[in-house]
Amino acid sequence: MKKFLLLCLFVLGLGFALFNFKGLADQGEFNSIVLDFLEDVPTTEISEQLKALEDKYGTTASLNSIYSVEDRVYVLEGDKELLKVLAKSPLRQNTEYIEPNYIYQALEIPNDPRYTEQWNLRSVNVELAWEETKGAGITVAVIDTGVSRVPDLKQTEFVKGYDFVNDKSDASDDNGHGTHVAGTIAQSTNNGYGVAGIAYEAKIMPLKVLSGSGGGTISDIADAIRFAADNGADVINMSLGGGGESKLMGEAIDYAYEKGVVIIAAAGNSNQNSASYPARYPRVISVSAVDSAGNKAPYSNYGAGVDISAPGGSEGGKILQNTIDPATGQSVFAEFQGTSMAAPHVAGVAALVKAAGITEPEQILKVLKESSRKVQEDPLNYYGAGHLDAASAVKLALKGQITFKDFFRWLRDNGYLSPRFWIDGGAVMLPAKLLMVLGSYLLAFLLRNYFPFSWSWSLNNGLIWGSSGLFFLQGLYIFDLPQWPFRLLGSSVAELGNAVQGYTALNPLFASVLIPFLLIILLSGHSTWKWFAVGTTVGVAACLLVNAVISPEVWGLGNVAIARSFLFTNALLCFGLAYLASKGENKLA
Amino acid sequence: MSINVTGKLEKKGFGLGTWALVTPGGETYELKDPPSELCQAQGTVKVEGQIRDDVMTLAMIGPVLEVKSFQLID
Repeated sequence: MKKFLLLCLFVLGLGFALFNFKGLADQGEFNSIVLDFLEDVPTTEISEQLKALEDKYGTTASLNSIYSVEDRVYVLEGDKELLKVLAKSPLRQNTEYIEPNYIYQALEIPNDPRYTEQWNLRSVNVELAWEETKGAGITVAVIDTGVSRVPDLKQTEFVKGYDFVNDKSDASDDNGHGTHVAGTIAQSTNNGYGVAGIAYEAKIMPLKVLSGSGGGTISDIADAIRFAADNGADVINMSLGGGGESKLMGEAIDYAYEKGVVIIAAAGNSNQNSASYPARYPRVISVSAVDSAGNKAPYSNYGAGVDISAPGGSEGGKILQNTIDPATGQSVFAEFQGTSMAAPHVAGVAALVKAAGITEPEQILKVLKESSRKVQEDPLNYYGAGHLDAASAVKLALKGQITFKDFFRWLRDNGYLSPRFWIDGGAVMLPAKLLMVLGSYLLAFLLRNYFPFSWSWSLNNGLIWGSSGLFFLQGLYIFDLPQWPFRLLGSSVAELGNAVQGYTALNPLFASVLIPFLLIILLSGHSTWKWFAVGTTVGVAACLLVNAVISPEVWGLGNVAIARSFLFTNALLCFGLAYLASKGENKLA
Repeated sequence: MSINVTGKLEKKGFGLGTWALVTPGGETYELKDPPSELCQAQGTVKVEGQIRDDVMTLAMIGPVLEVKSFQLID
């Protein structure tokens, strides 16, 4: 009887956890199915079919909303399995389609009205990168024709720059090129005006080395590189090139590189094999240009020295930013093309990568290259490592780091941010429970760095159940009801053996690797439930670790030291078990 | 050291546009501060000038040729 009760409560607890789950926002996730009935099927027949569906699968379909009566759009709870079954059932003949009701997630789409014309920003996949960082705290030096504070750079932060052409501190633009380049890097974005930039929370350091007619000397450029390195620039963009090898320039580049500055330059526009100087220097990231279809732009240099490709545009589609008209000095939105336009895309993404915590120039280049979208056939090295991808670069940069945003998302998705949790949770041993939750998260994070699985509801619920249970329930007392069911629901796997009786000492059968081991054996064949087992195992590991440190009390093991080593050993075994269970599993959980 | 380059004027579309001298063999020289009469030349021109190895530009279309003098050929 007792066992039966325990089973019932387990199922109930699980149901409760599932019911409370809010975080199915992963791309491609769904928990309901859409049925769109053909309009010539009589309503009575629809009702009959829905009834049959309910009888057979125990799931009720209802109209999506009062506005879907005419279109006959019904929604019913169901998963992949049910979708497969329905797609093959006779129901198909009466419906226009049966499809997953995907849960949508809002992307970071800026409100700049001409953002829609910026094919280049979408092609480097920047929206997803913005969810993590917008480049705050990073300074990008734009070594060019100067940068003017056009209206769409008003909200962009500037730091002290210099005009090396006219030897003055005001480095305004008299050509339009440098302002355009700065716009791609950090155009004021989400300001309801104009266009967007890639790392729009980064600061711009304007350094003028090219005159109004577009040329400048190597000595000025070398000075500007040193100025940038000495004045806190993190990234240097040089959309310029030509001339030969120069010792002066080479030394300036080495100086900046050794100070941790990432240096990016355009590969050149003469459609020749090999990048021009300064892109050709080994410590400079050389960028070739692609058109809106991702093919090599007709003018772009290629071959030797090219590290990566980015949008530079072509006659079929250029790069739009806010700049000045040199004839009048007034603000204009202009479309330019060239490797000059490709380089600042990489500079912007390098700023995002650096903001995500990668500091060494060598590592940043590695991240940019590894995260780029490879081009299968590239015998002439048109594209270097591939097409620049901001989202993958930031994701790769964040791998192995525990970010606040990541953890916050996890807390939110698991209901830990609801007020009820905090109010009721106050009644139990909150600090220890929080440690268990944190610990399970950290352990799971550790695992994820070895095996790139995604968080899934099954893993999350396993983590909670294994580490802490729905512990806020432990503090819930309701008149005339026994409290032990709440204690049980509020217990982790390891505490189940002592929760009903209300003891504090752990039951060694439950507080061990035994249950996780059985769970993994039972569930390892199932693609979704397997992750519940892995999550539970990691959770138990965290719970045992915390108990081993805070209160090593186990039935039958009177000695604290023995109990502690018992808990430690089992925690290690649990982690090892989770490691083995997730090994070789590279697909999504 | 001066060199002579013969070719036709072309405006290349980088930034706001850059004047180039393209030889019959397809070599492209970027003209540094060309006089306006040269830019208006329709036919083949012979330019005497100096290659500026110490100059970099935003156009990056080829060697930078600083014009000393020029003559229209046809």
